[in-house]
Amino acid sequence: MTALDPFERRPRAPNVAVPGALGDAGPAPGAPDDGAGPTLGPPAPRRTRRRRALVVLAVLGPGLIAANAGNDAGGIATYASAGAQFGYRTLFLMVLVTVALVVVQEMSARLGAFTGEGLVSLIREQFPLRAAALAVVCLIVANLGLVVSEFAGVGAAFELFGVSRYLSVPIAALVLWAMVVFGSYRYAERMFLMLGLAFIAYPVAAILGHPRWAAVGAQTAFPHFVASEPFLILAVAIVGTTITPYMQLYQAAAVADRGLGPEDYPLVRLDTIVGTIAAEIVSMAIIIATAAVIGGTGALGSAEDAAKALEPVVGSAAKALFGIGLLGASALAAAVVPLSTAYAISEAAGVERSVSSKFTEAPVFLGLFTAQIVIGAAVALAPGNLIKLLINTQVLNGLIAPVILGFILVLANRREVLGDAVNGPRFRVVATICVAVVSLLAVAVVVQTVASWIR
Amino acid sequence: MARRPSLPTPAPLRHRAERHAHRGLLTHRSVADALISLAGIVGQPVRNQAGDEVGRVADVVARWDGGPYPPATGLVVKVGRRPAFLPIAQVATMKADEVRLRSARLDLRDFQRRPGEVVLGRDVLDRQLVDVDGVRVVRASDLYLARVGLAWRLVGVDVSFQSLLRRLGPARRRHRATPDRVLDWSAVQPFGSQPGELRLSRSSQALKRLRPSEVADLLEELGRDERQALLDALDPGVAADALEEMQPEELEQLLREAPVARAAALVAAMEPDEAADALRDLGPEERAELLDAMPDETAGDLAALLTFSEESAGGLMTTHLVTVPVGTSVQAVRDRLREETEHRADVDRVLVIDDDGTLVDDLALFDLFLADPTASVDDLVEPPWPVTVHADASLEEVVARLVDSRAASVVVVDAADRPIGRILADDVVDALVPEKAKLRFPRILA
Repeated sequence: MTALDPFERRPRAPNVAVPGALGDAGPAPGAPDDGAGPTLGPPAPRRTRRRRALVVLAVLGPGLIAANAGNDAGGIATYASAGAQFGYRTLFLMVLVTVALVVVQEMSARLGAFTGEGLVSLIREQFPLRAAALAVVCLIVANLGLVVSEFAGVGAAFELFGVSRYLSVPIAALVLWAMVVFGSYRYAERMFLMLGLAFIAYPVAAILGHPRWAAVGAQTAFPHFVASEPFLILAVAIVGTTITPYMQLYQAAAVADRGLGPEDYPLVRLDTIVGTIAAEIVSMAIIIATAAVIGGTGALGSAEDAAKALEPVVGSAAKALFGIGLLGASALAAAVVPLSTAYAISEAAGVERSVSSKFTEAPVFLGLFTAQIVIGAAVALAPGNLIKLLINTQVLNGLIAPVILGFILVLANRREVLGDAVNGPRFRVVATICVAVVSLLAVAVVVQTVASWIR
Repeated sequence: MARRPSLPTPAPLRHRAERHAHRGLLTHRSVADALISLAGIVGQPVRNQAGDEVGRVADVVARWDGGPYPPATGLVVKVGRRPAFLPIAQVATMKADEVRLRSARLDLRDFQRRPGEVVLGRDVLDRQLVDVDGVRVVRASDLYLARVGLAWRLVGVDVSFQSLLRRLGPARRRHRATPDRVLDWSAVQPFGSQPGELRLSRSSQALKRLRPSEVADLLEELGRDERQALLDALDPGVAADALEEMQPEELEQLLREAPVARAAALVAAMEPDEAADALRDLGPEERAELLDAMPDETAGDLAALLTFSEESAGGLMTTHLVTVPVGTSVQAVRDRLREETEHRADVDRVLVIDDDGTLVDDLALFDLFLADPTASVDDLVEPPWPVTVHADASLEEVVARLVDSRAASVVVVDAADRPIGRILADDVVDALVPEKAKLRFPRILA
């Protein structure tokens, strides 16, 4: 492009419409205003500062991206399974989980904006080493579970097109690994993102599938517990797939990494809340669409069944559309999650430094990355039902989530970390209840599982 | 823009050799046994003369006194649940697993941090430090104290993974120092003490030896508060040089994080072409904000540069020119050049212009050097005539002009043939070298 107007060069104009950031540029109530602000020079006029953040958020929207990470292979499998097995009965749970997710993501975004640091770095600095090590181990296990589920998603997607997973998963692992290590990943990333957009069809399917809206409303508004083991386990899987530790890491890192600080926080918060709710509406649409088409037919058996939910939109092409979306979402996360884990561990341990400048000269980093891809792909190849494997990894995430949430809550409660942006007394109560409920669910599953071994 | 490659110089190698010497001392068995591991001594008993336990070590306080090895000023001791301060003068002996008092009883004082004091376990351990000799950012796995003369001093920082594992291991092994990858404290640039007042505690001489590209590497790796603290410690000119070497994304983030006044000052101190590149990467609002905060003249120059596309001659050029009118004496030109010493890398030739500003000739420094000082520049005006392009010329045209003329730079002129900038061959090389296919991952995911 040889246009003389350089301001048109990058897609950074504030009029780019992205949901999540453009609603309200006014001051958010209760947002901390000064305190941690810079001291050098005269303070910038607030208005331009705000609009500045608006520009960054409108284009990138970390809140939306982070929360949408929950709608990956594991998420689709879990929500579709919920719709297939229990109809609309898990919808009330989604409302509660959304509240919890908003609370948690908001804390993560606040930690990122006010400290300029990522969560693992903060945990290493703020907690005793053993506690920090526990957090890192939990993170590794949770993210490894996520990698397994992404490769299972890749396998399931290719099986829809008649390609055996014993062929597709190893090749996908090798290709992804090579793309990341040899540096052409950036282009592929965009392609995967586009493929993943296929899942926008879900909200449409939820409407065209003619669900019983009265039932949807009632099940959303009033809790309907089903006292059975499968329901409890699925509930934990929903919690695990919605509140994934990776999302909190990403949220804090993305805010800090874009240089968004305390003065930008009102908008960051808006982006986080709106983005999270938008992503959860998509999740609920998956449950509703699936319930409307195959609700009550029992546990979800295959990706083929799950794809039926999209039939009201595209008819016989549902299988292809579902496969494409699943492949995009899975492949994207299958590279990003191991990368972020390797980065977090290297940096927390202080074993590698020039990760960002000399990727191939960082053996520990490369080793960590490679190991996760290999393990993830290998587990996804184990014989058995892929959908079951997908849901089990989400249950694992649900068991680990409370630990990471506990760390985030303690950090956000600490005045020496956040200064005046620390959790207020009421917020603290709400956040504590959220963490407690999530923990209770996880404990219930553990107790249930142990009890079933004893029997 | 691609980062300029930096050639290794002998200096860092020499520093590395010195560090190995330090390491040798620390790995020596007798020295290693005498080292007190900070992570190890925390939790160990404090005993009075009679050998009765009166409390447990909670932390060690040191004073950043500007010297290479900060002295310990006291211990934070937990008596029951209450933290108290124990001045170092009351300590008779300090061993890896025990502290003995001089007196029979402990003189308890509430701990209050005095200016310049740092609580090592809380403020330094597990946090980022700059290893100045190795030019990298490290995290402290452990800190080592040693008796030097009459004082206990902080002598080294351990950055090894092994020490992390030791700290995770059973408590009874934790106090044994494992000096494996230890940096001598004099080669480390620590950061300040309290959140909010983070600043470099001593502006290390070693820091001044770093090349701009090395400072750029460090800035990219540090956390938000630490990188601002490092910028504080640098001379503004040095900081601007370093910023020119940073990755565009990292620079963008740094400018966004910094207070507007500082960001504007830094950008204004950068070479105009690099400054314009940096501003291009920011959003229009941020760009306007920074330009507003700059001196009017600088802002005007940069705004003019910003009207050119990055890919065109206008986007590649520097506006830093040495221009003299016709009739100037060679001696006056030399005096003028003397004032330009700071910009010597950007001054390739001297432009001669006539009264209405149009370009007459582009004189080589070599010719000016040989010329008679009393002569006029007019005597030097002769073919070959200047190599010029217009501001909207493409990179290909610039390259073609350079190749045809075998010149080291081309002059950028406006429609009226007035010089507005110069493109140096090295900037063309930067533009031609494809950006290294490299994976930039959010720095802070950790």
